[in-house]
Amino acid sequence: MERLRDLYRHRALVGVLVSRELKARYRGSVLGFFWSLLNPLLMLAVYTLVFQLLLPNRAATTSPYAVFLFCGLLPWSWLSAALTDAAASLLTHGALLRKIVFPAEVLPAVAVLAQGVHFLLALPVLLGALVLGATGVLGGSVTLGLPLLQVPLLVVVEAVLLLGVGFFLAGLTIHFRDVKDLLQTLLAIGFFATPILYTLGEMKSATVVRLLGLNPLAPLFGAWHDALFYGRWVSPRSWAVLVAVSAVAFALGYLFFDRLRDSYAEAV
Amino acid sequence: MNGKVSALIELGAGFHPEISGRENVVINGVMLGLTRRQIERKLPEIVAFSGLADFIDEPVKTYSSGMYVRLGFAVAVHVDPEVLVVDEVLAVGDEAFSRRCLDTIQEFSARGKTIFFVSHSLALVEELCDRVLYLEGGRVKGLGEPREMLAAYRLDVSAGEGSRLLGEHEADQERLRASVSPGPPAAASSGARETAPPAAEVAAGAASEPGERPRRWGDRSAVITGCRLRGADGAERYAFRTGEELTVEIEASPQRALSDFVFGVGLFTPEDVCVHGTNTEIDGLVPATFDAPARVRVVLPRCDLGPGTYLVDVAVHARNGTPYDYWRGACRFRVDSTRTEAGVWSPERRWEFGGGVTWTSA
Repeated sequence: MERLRDLYRHRALVGVLVSRELKARYRGSVLGFFWSLLNPLLMLAVYTLVFQLLLPNRAATTSPYAVFLFCGLLPWSWLSAALTDAAASLLTHGALLRKIVFPAEVLPAVAVLAQGVHFLLALPVLLGALVLGATGVLGGSVTLGLPLLQVPLLVVVEAVLLLGVGFFLAGLTIHFRDVKDLLQTLLAIGFFATPILYTLGEMKSATVVRLLGLNPLAPLFGAWHDALFYGRWVSPRSWAVLVAVSAVAFALGYLFFDRLRDSYAEAV
Repeated sequence: MNGKVSALIELGAGFHPEISGRENVVINGVMLGLTRRQIERKLPEIVAFSGLADFIDEPVKTYSSGMYVRLGFAVAVHVDPEVLVVDEVLAVGDEAFSRRCLDTIQEFSARGKTIFFVSHSLALVEELCDRVLYLEGGRVKGLGEPREMLAAYRLDVSAGEGSRLLGEHEADQERLRASVSPGPPAAASSGARETAPPAAEVAAGAASEPGERPRRWGDRSAVITGCRLRGADGAERYAFRTGEELTVEIEASPQRALSDFVFGVGLFTPEDVCVHGTNTEIDGLVPATFDAPARVRVVLPRCDLGPGTYLVDVAVHARNGTPYDYWRGACRFRVDSTRTEAGVWSPERRWEFGGGVTWTSA
C-alpha cells in the first residue's frame, strides 16, 4: 500500500517521462505528432479498401467490417505496444536503475501510458470512422449513441490491466530475457484468440465459444465492440468481470514487481 | 538516510539523446526530486553554471561527453541536495569546469551538507575529504583521517605490487635459466644487435623476439646464473620505497679459472636512460681469481630514486670490455614514494627562508 502511494507520488516524474517519450518519438520527423493520427487513418483506409472492395462478403452483424475491425484493433495495438515496451522498459533504461536512485515502477508505467496517449490520439479517427459507418455509405450499420460514454471507463480499465501485466512482464524480463521473444509469439496467438476479427456470437461451435470465453481479454474486447460499434450498454455483470480482471491483474503484477525490486539494479 | 540525496554516480544518467538539453534538465530535475516549477525557476542558473547557453536547445546527442557531464553536474548541484554522492565523475570536463565543480563541492561542505565522494584520485580525496573510508573488494579496510587512510592505501598498493613483481621476476628468471645452456658458445640466430660482438654471443631465448634488441650476449667464459634484488632485511623483493637500502645480487660461475674479470651493474629507466652505472673496475677493485661459482653484491644504502619502474642490467666481462655474459634488464623493480615529486632522483632536501616569507606550521 505504501508503495502504491509512492507510485502516486511519482506522478510528476511519470508525467515528464511520458511527455519525453512522446517528444523523442517524433523528434526529427516532419509531421511529428500528426503521425499518431495519420497512422490509424492510413490503417483504416487500407482496411476499408480491402474489406469493402476486395473481400466484401462479411457477416451482416460485423458490417461495415473495416469499421468493426478498427474498433477492436486500436485497443489491441495499445495493448500489444504497451506490453512490448513495458517488458523491455527496465532493460532499456537500465542506466537509470544502476546509476541513480530511481523508482523502478515508473518505467513500465511510462511505457503503458505513453502508448495510451497514442491510443487516445487515434480516437478521433475512430470516431470519424464510426460516424462514416453510421451514415450507411459503407453498408451495414453502426449505432452511434450514449453508450459511447463508456469509452473513458474502458480506457481506465484497460490501462489498469496493462499496468498490472506490464509490471509483471518488466520484472520477469529482467531475469529471463527470453520473455521478450516469447511475448511476441503470445501476442500473435492472443490476437487471434481474442474477439477482435470476430465476435464470440459468430462462432458456430459452443465448445469454441466456451474456450475463447476463457480468455480473460475476451470480455474487454467484447465491451469495446459493444460500446463503439454496436452502441450497446455493457451489462453490469460484464463490468464486474472487467473491473475484477483488471484489479486482480494490477494487484498481482505489482506485488510480483515489488517482490523482485531489489534485484533489478544488479540484474540489469 | 534522511534528506534529499543527489547521486552523481553517472552524470547525465537519464538524459534522452533525442531531446534538447533544456528539456533534459527539466526531466532530470524531476527525477532528482524537484517539482516542475522549481526546476524551471532554476533553469537559467543551471544553464549559466554549465556554460552551455549556446547549445541548450540542441538535442543532447550532439553534445560531447564533457558537455554531457557539465550539464549533468549543473543539474545535480542545483537540486540542492542534503547528501551529494559523487562517484569518479570529475575526471572529464575542462580544467576550468572541474575547478568550478570542486569549488561547488567545497562550498557544499562549508554549508554543512554531506558529500559522499568515491574516488581513486588520492589528490582529490586529500583535498576534499574530512574522513576517509577505505574499501577493498567491498570490505572495509579502514575509516579515519584522510592522511592515515591514504598512507595505508599507498602501502597496500606497493606491497601488492611488490608480490606481483616478485612472482614476475621468478617466472622471468626461470625462463632465462632454461634457455641458457652451459657449454661452448653457440652461434646466435636473431638479427639487429649493434651493441654485441657477433660470432660469440648467446641469445637469451626469453627475449629473442625478432626485431627486438637481444637481452643477453657474451662469449660465456663466465655465466651469470642469477640476479636478484634484496631489501635492507636481506629478503628478496622488487618494490622499494624512496630512500630505502637496495642490494643487487649477482650469482655467476666461470667456465674456466679467470683472472681477468669485472662485475658491473647498471640501473635504467624504461626509456633506457641510464640512472646509474658502475662496476668493480670503476670502483677500484683489482681482480685476482674467479674459479668457482660466486656471489657478488652491490649495496646501495640509500636508494634515492624517484617513484617509477627501473630496470637492472648486470654483466661480467673482461677488463678490456669483452663481454663474458651481459644481461640487459635482468631485474625490474618499482620505487614508490609517499610524495609525488617528479623525476628519477629524490634527494634528501630542506628549504630555507629568509626575509618576508612565513609558513603556517602543518
